[in-house]
Amino acid sequence: MRRSYRGDRLRLGVAKVLFLVLFVVVGGRAFQLQVLQGERLKRLAERQHLKEWIVLPKRGAVLDRTGEPLALSLEAQSVYARPHRIQDPAEVSRALGKILNLDVGEVKQKMTSEKPFVWIKRQIGPQEAERIQALSVEGIGMFYEPNRYYPQGQLAGQLIGFVSRDSEGLEGLELHYNDYIRGETGSSVIERDALGRRVLVQGVGGLQMPPGGDIHLTLDTSIQHLAEKELEATIGKYRAKAGVAIAVDPFTGEVLALANYPSFDPNNFAKQSAQQRRNRAVADSFEPGSTFKTILAAAALEEGVVGKEDLFYCEMGKYSYAGKVIHDTHPHAWLPFHKILQVSSNIGITKVAEKLKKERYFKYIEKFGFGQPTGVDVPGEVSGLLRKPESWSAIDLATHAFGQGIAATPMQMVMAYAAIANGGFLMRPHVVRRVVGPKGEVLVENQPHVVRRVISEKTARSLASMLKGVTNEGGTGVMASVEGFEVAGKTGTAQKADLTHGGYAAGKRVASFVGFVPADDPKLVVIVLVDEPEVNVYGGVVAAPVFRNIARGALRHLAVAPQKPELVPTPIGATEFPRRRATKKATEVVFDRGAEAVPDFVGLSLREAVEKARALRVKVKMHGNGYVIRQSPAPGGRWSEEEILVLNLQG
Amino acid sequence: MAAKPSVKGLRSQNRARVNRADRRRRQRHLIVFVLSTLGLIGVALLHVWLRLQVVHMGYVLSTTSKLQNRLEQENRELKVELATLTSPDRLEAMSRKRLGLRPPEKGQVIVLP
Repeated sequence: MRRSYRGDRLRLGVAKVLFLVLFVVVGGRAFQLQVLQGERLKRLAERQHLKEWIVLPKRGAVLDRTGEPLALSLEAQSVYARPHRIQDPAEVSRALGKILNLDVGEVKQKMTSEKPFVWIKRQIGPQEAERIQALSVEGIGMFYEPNRYYPQGQLAGQLIGFVSRDSEGLEGLELHYNDYIRGETGSSVIERDALGRRVLVQGVGGLQMPPGGDIHLTLDTSIQHLAEKELEATIGKYRAKAGVAIAVDPFTGEVLALANYPSFDPNNFAKQSAQQRRNRAVADSFEPGSTFKTILAAAALEEGVVGKEDLFYCEMGKYSYAGKVIHDTHPHAWLPFHKILQVSSNIGITKVAEKLKKERYFKYIEKFGFGQPTGVDVPGEVSGLLRKPESWSAIDLATHAFGQGIAATPMQMVMAYAAIANGGFLMRPHVVRRVVGPKGEVLVENQPHVVRRVISEKTARSLASMLKGVTNEGGTGVMASVEGFEVAGKTGTAQKADLTHGGYAAGKRVASFVGFVPADDPKLVVIVLVDEPEVNVYGGVVAAPVFRNIARGALRHLAVAPQKPELVPTPIGATEFPRRRATKKATEVVFDRGAEAVPDFVGLSLREAVEKARALRVKVKMHGNGYVIRQSPAPGGRWSEEEILVLNLQG
Repeated sequence: MAAKPSVKGLRSQNRARVNRADRRRRQRHLIVFVLSTLGLIGVALLHVWLRLQVVHMGYVLSTTSKLQNRLEQENRELKVELATLTSPDRLEAMSRKRLGLRPPEKGQVIVLP
């Protein structure tokens, strides 16, 4: 027994020593791993199971006043290569070139590059991404990047602007409101398993960055589309270089439409020229021409130097003033002040300006906002050109009276007319109603802002009634009249400065019309400006019909009831299928024009109209001289039984 | 007269009592040791289980987060598609070509006061 007890003690002792040695070895190893090599091993481990996750910014949307999206962001994958990790560049290039529809040679050149990282193709489609994922090639990877889409294409393209590949606003509203809509970017360290999968043991808090706010515009997509369509059609018809149309609510300064031509599609901004990207409504200034006579008329009425019925002698179309001869398009003798605007007499308005004097006139030009930016929330706005009266020569009073020697942006012009329309207040225009943050908080809100009172309400009403005459029979802007409504406005046909040789360029004109409707309770102020039309240059012929079509469509869209009772409603479908006209004699073959639409004669000169009518073998009745301003039957309508085309000409 | 217990008997009785008490004490120690060890093992297992649950939830969260992102992306794609399909330009072209519609003529629109 004793021996056995000793044996146990010995074995226990051995076991103790063994365990002690083991503990020492384990402890030593633990010390070595945890303390001596701890930092290095920790780094190695972290590299294996921790990964920095970049959270991309989520850019807010751009919506019109009804919530229709004009710009949205999606995420698209971009393919990159790490050339030094690729085993077989030739084979990989072939596969990628085929999937991504790229030149294999170019891809191979990138694969064999010395750079550690090269982009193969950015922002690819989801199907392409799936096929590349399936390839599973070492050295080829994909990365999510934000991609901006403009679902309405070119609609308000110049106004909205565009963003870079890194989601930074570069032009238009995308640039102006970039800080509010960009969204925040960030990064978070996440764990991943042996297969590289994300394991979000820390939760998703670090992966959620606040997205950018949404821009709610004052723009109405329907009116914008109408304005762009009408502008484009007219520019095509008159072979013009460019054009602008703006529609504004006169009481709030909200811009309902801002159309530019040439158009610009921000989805392909890199492929389009700087001319297409240009927002001419604020970035270009033009000599306004006769539309500026209204400003002088406003000043003269407000200062009480003239009355509506005061008579002025218009020198039968030729007037020597300050060593120059001023001409009118049509000779006139005595004209009351309101008629001077109606027929757009340069001589008459010069005589009004003589009574007003340049200092007082200049004061009103400034008060109407010319020579300074309107403050619209669009980048790139210019001030126009306005010289101080001290530097005016003797003739400058006359030229300024009919809108020469001064340059204004279309936005300045439309806001000046808005001041007349709303009873005398110059408003600050805006295209953004509000910017709303991700939690519904309002980040920016543009309320109607009165810059100043320019003229009294009485003057504004008096001027509005005078401007109504322009679109009535005998005025230069009859083609701007809208059925059922009274329109107040003014035509303009301005010469263009010759930037190379000085003076004015021969044959180059800017045709414009600016006005408001309904004249006595305005809902809309619209300016239409057509740059360098070739077929016809008159504002009353080129720009006024665009105004009419925009105003007519917009008023219908805004559900503004006509002031004048309209015609008896035509039952829908009554004119849908033109029936063939019954022939008087069964044997007699009569050329039936009933099913043909009446072609458009508006804007043609007398000779062109006669030739066109002759080619169509229709009888024509003409009233007046110059250019066709109205026709009956209307373009697109049906021929009457008699097949007589009535043309009214003016110009 | 009862027989007196012998000294030897008393000693053995005392030893037995001491042994019993000693055994009980050892048993108590053993129970305490076993319970503590089981407790420790339990805590350790609980920790491991919790850790496994965290990892498991991490996977679930990761999958759900991916699903959320995918659905959000899909939602945005559908919004883009809807906006593209309902753009005024396309609607006008389609209503003219497919349905033979045209802008209303004079008198065909009546605005109710």
